This record gives sequence, C-alpha cells and structure tokens, in this order.
Amino acid sequence: MMQKESETQKDEKGDVLKMVLEIGRVCIKTAGRDAGKHCVVIDMLDNNVALIDGATRRRKCNILHLEPTARKVDISKDADHEAVKKAFSQIGIDIKDTAPKKAGSRPSKQPRKKEYPAEKKKKKPKEAQPLKDAEKSKVIDVVPEKEVEVQPEKNPEQKKKAGKTLPGGTTVKAPSKKP
Amino acid sequence: MAATIFKQSRSFRVVKVKAPGNRIVVHWRKRNPKGAHCGKCGTLLNGMPRLRPVELNKLSKSQKRPERPYGGMLCSSCTRQVFIEKARAK
Repeated sequence: MMQKESETQKDEKGDVLKMVLEIGRVCIKTAGRDAGKHCVVIDMLDNNVALIDGATRRRKCNILHLEPTARKVDISKDADHEAVKKAFSQIGIDIKDTAPKKAGSRPSKQPRKKEYPAEKKKKKPKEAQPLKDAEKSKVIDVVPEKEVEVQPEKNPEQKKKAGKTLPGGTTVKAPSKKP
Repeated sequence: MAATIFKQSRSFRVVKVKAPGNRIVVHWRKRNPKGAHCGKCGTLLNGMPRLRPVELNKLSKSQKRPERPYGGMLCSSCTRQVFIEKARAK
C-alpha cells in the first residue's frame, strides 16, 4: 500500500518529471475523466504543463497528473492526431475515436392526445335530449296518476317515524328532510 | 392493512415550516442517509449527494457521482494511487 503524497514528495516528483518528460514519452494519466488511459507528450508548454494526445482527449495537462512509462515514440513536436494514432498502433495500444452524436438520431417525444375529456362533454347533451322527448310522450299518459296518489301518503308516515319517543314520554322531532 | 407510522420518533427529524397566517408548524420528515465513503481509506466522498433514493432518481447521472473511473467508489487521492501502482507494475 502506498501512502498519500505529501507536498515535499510532490515537489520531488515534479523535479523528476521535468527531467523525464520529453516529446514522445508515453504516459498514463492518473487524474480526472481520462485517468488510466495512455497518452503521449507532444509539447511542453511550460515547466509544469504539457500538451498530450492519444487515447485521452488532446489537451493541456499538469505534469503531476502524468505517470511516465519506459516507452518512447518517435513523434515530431505538435504532431497530428493521426500521426499519434500510427505511432500508438506500432506499440500495440488501440485508440478509440468517439464521433459526436448526430442531432436527429433520437426520436422526439410526442405530446399526449387529449381526446378523452373532449368526447364526454359532447356526448352528454346529444344523448340526453332525444331520450327525454321520446320517453315523456309515452310515459306521461300512465304515470302521473300514481305519482300524485303516492306522494301525499308517504310524507306523513316519514314524519311519524322521524319523531323519536324518549322513556319519559316526551317526543323529540328530528330535523325533517325537505324533498 | 398497512401499519400506521409513529412519526414523532428519533428516526424522524423536525422541520419548522411557516404556514399561511404567519404561524409556525412542526413537520416530521425522514432523516437523510449517511454520506458515501471511500472504499479504500474510508473518508467522506466529495461530490456525492446525501439524499433518499426517491430524490436521487430525480438527479441526472453526472450529478450523482464524479465523472472519473472509480467515481463514487474511491476518493480522488486513492484513485491516483491505484493508477500509479498499475502503471509501475507494467
């Protein structure tokens, strides 16, 4: 198990890296999104910053985020990505180039159809009207006599039931429901 | 029958909410889970939200863990050690 790097160790590592890192040195990135991928130093922009390319993205990089390997590649300064690809294929390292996504490839979302509530509102008045006209003409001749007779008889019975008798003999009237 | 949950317990936390009419009401909510820790050294991981799984589902993938190999599993210094060890082993 390695211990965590202190600041003095980082300074020592930086001094060593400045000696080791040259154009064409194959490294492994140890930090960030491209950690664990192989890359080549193409240019030293600064004492502490290198330009790299390879299996990683082509970018500036702090040299403390690089771990040098024993391998070296013949590459000119500021070489193209294709030149780096050729050099890597000779060593035996594959580079996968990811193409940017096409804009139209995904199917776009379609809004939901709102037919359901619209149909209900239309149907109710249309169906209700013709039925009423047809039924009234047939039913009215027969029914009204029964309705008139029954209603007055029921009401007094309900009123009697509604009033409760207490053991003392007093009656308490419940609130009567109006039809 | 679902069992009723006794909310006024230690597993819930108190949140004071201002209700209409300017009165303060006490709400009882579930506590947040513990934060994620590094699998190697055990420190609290940065960039990891402390939320219940229901609320984690609302976040995007890049909001849930750092965008890095072993992101959300190991801390940044431990991942660096792992990759240095691997590079030197070759």
